[in-house]
Amino acid sequence: MNAHQSVSIVMIEDDEGHARLIEKNIRRAGILNDIKHFLDGTSALDYLFNAPDGPMLNGPALVLLDLNLPDMSGTDILAKIKQSDGPVKRTPVVVLTTTDDSREIQRCYDLGANVYITKPVNYESFAQAIRQLGLFLSVIQVPDIEE
Amino acid sequence: MLIAFMAVGFLALLAAGFAAAWVTGELAKHSQAVSHTYEVELAIADTRRLIEQGETARRGYLLSPGTPRFLEAYNDAAKALPRAEKKLRQLTYDNPRQQAHIRKLEQHLRELQTLRGQSVELIVAGKVGEARELFQTEMSSARFREVRAVFDQMTREERALLAIRDAQQERSISLFYTVLVVAGLLLAAVAISALLVVVRYTGDLAQSREQLQQLNESLEAIVVDRTSDLSRANDEIQRFAYIVSHDLRSPLVNVMGFTAELEAATATLRELVEQAEQDAPDILTDDARLAAQEDLPEAIGFIRTSTQKMDRLINAILALSRQGRRVLAPETLDLMRMVSQIRDSMAHRLDETGARIDVVGNLPALVSDRVAIEQILSNLIENAVKYRHPDRPVEVQVSGAAGGDRVWIEVSDNGRGIDPRDHERVFDLFRRSGTQDQPGEGIGLAHVRALAYRLGGTITLRSALGEGATFRLSLPSTLSLQEKS
Repeated sequence: MNAHQSVSIVMIEDDEGHARLIEKNIRRAGILNDIKHFLDGTSALDYLFNAPDGPMLNGPALVLLDLNLPDMSGTDILAKIKQSDGPVKRTPVVVLTTTDDSREIQRCYDLGANVYITKPVNYESFAQAIRQLGLFLSVIQVPDIEE
Repeated sequence: MLIAFMAVGFLALLAAGFAAAWVTGELAKHSQAVSHTYEVELAIADTRRLIEQGETARRGYLLSPGTPRFLEAYNDAAKALPRAEKKLRQLTYDNPRQQAHIRKLEQHLRELQTLRGQSVELIVAGKVGEARELFQTEMSSARFREVRAVFDQMTREERALLAIRDAQQERSISLFYTVLVVAGLLLAAVAISALLVVVRYTGDLAQSREQLQQLNESLEAIVVDRTSDLSRANDEIQRFAYIVSHDLRSPLVNVMGFTAELEAATATLRELVEQAEQDAPDILTDDARLAAQEDLPEAIGFIRTSTQKMDRLINAILALSRQGRRVLAPETLDLMRMVSQIRDSMAHRLDETGARIDVVGNLPALVSDRVAIEQILSNLIENAVKYRHPDRPVEVQVSGAAGGDRVWIEVSDNGRGIDPRDHERVFDLFRRSGTQDQPGEGIGLAHVRALAYRLGGTITLRSALGEGATFRLSLPSTLSLQEKS
């Protein structure tokens, strides 16, 4: 990701505390990419598909998705991203949620999730997981919108 | 009703039978009477014939005394006459009028006989002239008319009697027919009424059977309804527990996360305080020192242990709710092997404490869900080993038997026992009993009971403080999967 500084991280997370902790730990892992935070699904989808600086119209992105949102289920957002036409479809989606139900995990992968991570309640594990995610983000390649 | 009809019908039949018997008797009597009449008439005719014959023979002899055949004929008739007369008398002994006639007849006959005897004797003696004279004076033709008249009267008398008897006969026959007709009508009425009653009864029966069937069907529908209501409610509770435990986890992540952040920040602060202690002790107040070195770490420590405990409790609820959602898969289980596997998994702990786990006798065959039974047994056995009596080494006994379509398994120990007051409580979630000297959240037995219920079984407890405990698990020997959630 270092090679693609323009890749922005879209974080869809209704819990501001979680969002802050995730951001802190990503930064601690040395990831400096721009993080856009959305508290609900509607505004996030609007950004993804319609914003002039969103991934649909401008540059690649990576989505961090929580499944428990106030206005819609995270799986709906996942389905909309993966079933859309255009560059957003290729945006990697990391599902980061408290749910560790195996059926839910299966469903997310079926819908095209790229990674599924359960938030550990234990903070040390949580922080560890996020930092590892940061390391992971630093090596994965995101499809370029221009290609 | 039907019985009354049958009784009436039976009585009618009986009456018809009696009438028939009576009429038969009457008929027999009548035919006897008829034959009697004819017999009497015959006897009358016989007597009459003999008298006439005797007379004819005498007259023939009188006219031609040289012909002995007339004498023989006369003698024969005279000899036979008393017998015929006697018979006539016997036949009519019960009829005084006929007897009177006979008496009159006899008088004439005796006179006639005497006269005849005289005339025949005269002829035999060769005095034919005298005999003829006698015959002319005796007025035999007038006497004969009288005799004939008597006979005619007797015959008429018999005919009259016969006519009376015929009339009687007719009356009894007509009575018989009347009885027969009445009985027949009665029988027909009874038959028709009985038929109607039977038809109505059959109709009623069919109707009530239909009602019963409808009732049955509606009952089944009600049961299905209730069952689906129940399973809906159960699903609702499961979902509720699942959602609650999930949603509780989310804020907990924050509490724990920011506590960790606080801890990290506190560490930085403490380093700063220590630095200041060395470099410029005069800028440090006691409060600041206390806050950085004791209050903050202490508060953070409490938050941490509490949140950790809460995390364990939430996980327990989640595990229970997951257990409730799991699909059961019945299979034939080898309980002996299962117990020895549980024993092997605890081998280290058993060796350390010198505990023993024994199976008493043979454990019954069981078709049930493997995971559930394993969890129940290992929970019970682990508890038995865990809550030991301090004075004696642990001895756990597992026994079981089958009875009817159920199977029971008992896990009994010689441990510290459970106060009878807590026998219900220990099965409640997060509730424990006795000295709290062992780690645990009070989840195990709640889990065991939930599993036992789910398998269609029950679990009961016998125990007294200090005297060990026996948990008895009762299960259907074959788990049926009617309930699917």
